[in-house]
Amino acid sequence: MENKKPLIELKNISKSYDDETVVNDVNLTIYENEFLTLLGPSGCGKTTILRMIAGFIKPEAGEIIINGKIFNDLPPYARPIHTVFQKYALFPHLNVIDNVAFGLNNRSWEYLESFFGKDKIEKEAKELGDVSKKTVIRKAIKNLIYKDSEQALKLVKLEGFKKRKVDQLSGGQQQRVALARALVNKPQILLLDEPLAALDLKLRQNMQYELKEMQRNLGITFLFVTHDQEEAMTMSDRIVVMKEGVIQQLGSPKSIYNEPINRYVANFIGETNIIKGTYVKKDVVNFLGVDFKCMGYTFNDNEEVDVVIRPEDFDVVDVEKAKLVGEVVFSLFKGVHNEYEVLVKNEKLLVHTYESYEVGQPIGLTIDPYEIHMMKVEVSE
Amino acid sequence: MNKEFKVLARPYMVWLSILVFVPILAMILISISNLNSSVSVGDLVISFSHFKLLLESSTLIAFRNSLFFATLTTLFSFVLGYFIAYEIKLSRFKNKFILLTIVILPMWSNLILRTESLANIMSENNILKSILGFNLFGNISGTGAAVLFGLVFTYMPFMILSVYTALEKIDFALEEAALDLGLSPIKKFWKVVFPLSLKGVVTGSIMVFLPTLAGFAIPKILSRGRIVFIGTIIENKFVYTNYNHGALLAVVILFFILGSILLLTKFDKEGETLL
Repeated sequence: MENKKPLIELKNISKSYDDETVVNDVNLTIYENEFLTLLGPSGCGKTTILRMIAGFIKPEAGEIIINGKIFNDLPPYARPIHTVFQKYALFPHLNVIDNVAFGLNNRSWEYLESFFGKDKIEKEAKELGDVSKKTVIRKAIKNLIYKDSEQALKLVKLEGFKKRKVDQLSGGQQQRVALARALVNKPQILLLDEPLAALDLKLRQNMQYELKEMQRNLGITFLFVTHDQEEAMTMSDRIVVMKEGVIQQLGSPKSIYNEPINRYVANFIGETNIIKGTYVKKDVVNFLGVDFKCMGYTFNDNEEVDVVIRPEDFDVVDVEKAKLVGEVVFSLFKGVHNEYEVLVKNEKLLVHTYESYEVGQPIGLTIDPYEIHMMKVEVSE
Repeated sequence: MNKEFKVLARPYMVWLSILVFVPILAMILISISNLNSSVSVGDLVISFSHFKLLLESSTLIAFRNSLFFATLTTLFSFVLGYFIAYEIKLSRFKNKFILLTIVILPMWSNLILRTESLANIMSENNILKSILGFNLFGNISGTGAAVLFGLVFTYMPFMILSVYTALEKIDFALEEAALDLGLSPIKKFWKVVFPLSLKGVVTGSIMVFLPTLAGFAIPKILSRGRIVFIGTIIENKFVYTNYNHGALLAVVILFFILGSILLLTKFDKEGETLL
C-alpha cells in the first residue's frame, strides 16, 4: 500500500437520521487500485458511507475529497463514480445491451469526444464515410458506444444476451449486466452495495473470484459493502470493520483475522475463543490457570487481558505433553476438519483439528506463542 | 381456481348475464331490425335500411364532435393530470392517500348536480359572481370551452390516479441508477421515469377517452344543447322510441370501446395499472 496515491479521503464525516447518528466522525483514506471492503452488520453505517461517496446523500459534517477536490456538494451525475446496486436496478424498459449503453448514450457530445478521444472517433468515422459530416461522426460515436458495451458484456461473460429483456435473466445474470453497465463508463471508483447478497452460495463464490480478478485487471478502485465476513476476507485488500457508525478496525484481512482489536471485531470475523487472562510479565500470559509464552504484546505487568485464540490455532497433542487438558463435549464433522467443543476448567473452547476424537474422550492442547493474541479488556458495556 | 370460490361467483354471473350480456345481445339484434315507434313487434324483420343514418350529416357531425372533444379532453387531462400525479408522487406529505382522496373528492357528488352547478357559475349571473365581485369563468356557458372544461374537470381524476399508480411503482433505485450513470435530473425524467409511466398514461387516456366519447350529460348541460355529441343523439333516439337507430349508434360506440380495450390489453399485459 506504500507510495499509493490516495483517491478518496473521508475527513470527519458524520451523518444522522432523526437524531440517530448513523455515521460518526469517520476518517478513511482509499487508495488507487485497491479493493476496500466496508464490513459490518446492518445498520452500522456502511451503506450510508457508500451513498455519501456516490452523492445520493450529503454528510452533515466533514469532507469527501476525491482526487484532491472536495466533492460534498457535487450531484451524483457529476462524479467519476458508478454504483452497482444491491437489487441491480436495471431498466426494465430496455434490453440488455441498451442497459449497458445507457450511461454513454445519454452523455453530451463533448463528454463522449474526450471519453473516446478524437483520434478514435475519426478512425471509426473514416470507415463510415465523409468525416466532415456531423451525422457520420454521430454514427461513429454510436458505434463506439455499442462496441464498448459489447466488450463490457463480454467481460462479464454475457455476450449472447444482447437482445434479451432484463426480466428474462436470472439473478446472477442481472448482476453481471449491472456490473457491465457500470464498468463500461470506465469509472475511477466502483461502489458495490452488497451486490452478491441475493445470489445463492455457489454463484456468490464464483462472483467473488471474478470480481477480484476484474478489479485486478481493470485497475479500478472497488469499494465494496457487505455484512458477510467471508466475502470480505476472500476479496479485499483491506477491510474496514464498522459498528454503530464508527470504524472499529482497518487492516488487511490477515491482520484483522489474526489480531482483532476488540471483542466485537474478534466475534464478527469468524469463530474464535476469547478467554480472560492476565499478562504476568513480558512474554508470559496466564489463562485457564496455566502460564503461556507469548510474543509481540506489551501490557502492564499483571494487567487483565482478553486472550484470543482461533479454533484452528490449537495444536492437539498427547495428554501427557499438553499444557491444557480437557474433555470433548461436542463434536461435528465439517468435511475438511473436525470441530470440537472442549471443556477445560469450566471454559468451553472451540477447537478445529484433523484428528478424530469421540465425545467424552480427554484431549490435550498446546498453543504456539505466536498464535496467542491479546486485547485490552474493554470497559464492560 | 378453487371450487368453492366458483360457486360464490355464480350469483354475479347470473347478474352479469341478465343485466349485461342479454341487453348487449338485444341491442345488437335491434340494431339490425326495423324496430321503431311505428313498427309493432309482430312485423319485426331484419333490416339494414336504417343504416343510411350513419351517413347523415347530423350523425357525422355528432361523431366528429364526440371524437374531437374526447381527444382534446384526453390531451388536457394527460398534460395537467401528469403534472398533478408527479407532484403527488414527489410530495413529502406523509399521507399521500389524503392527497389522492382530495383528487377524487368531486366524484363523490352527483355528476348531474355537479355539472349543473358548473353551468351555473359559467353563466352570466351566478352566486360566485356576487361573492367574488367578478365572473370567474367569464360568460362561457354554452361554448365549446365550457364543455371542454367540464369534461376535463370530471374525468381528469382517472388520469391522475392511473398515472400516479404507475409512477409509484417505479423503483426509486432506478432513478438513482440513472443519476449515477451521469444523467441530469431532467434527462432522468425523460429517459427513465416517463417511459416507465407510459402504461399508466395509456390506461388513464382510455379511462378518460371512453366516457367522454360516449357521454351525453355533460356536453348537453354545459353547451346548453348547442354542441351535439353522439351520446346526445342516441339518448334522443331512445327517448323518441326510435330503437333501431339508437341501437345502431350504440353498437358503433361499442366497437370503439372494444377497440380501445384491445389496445389497452396490448400495452398493459399484466393489468398492473388498471385500477
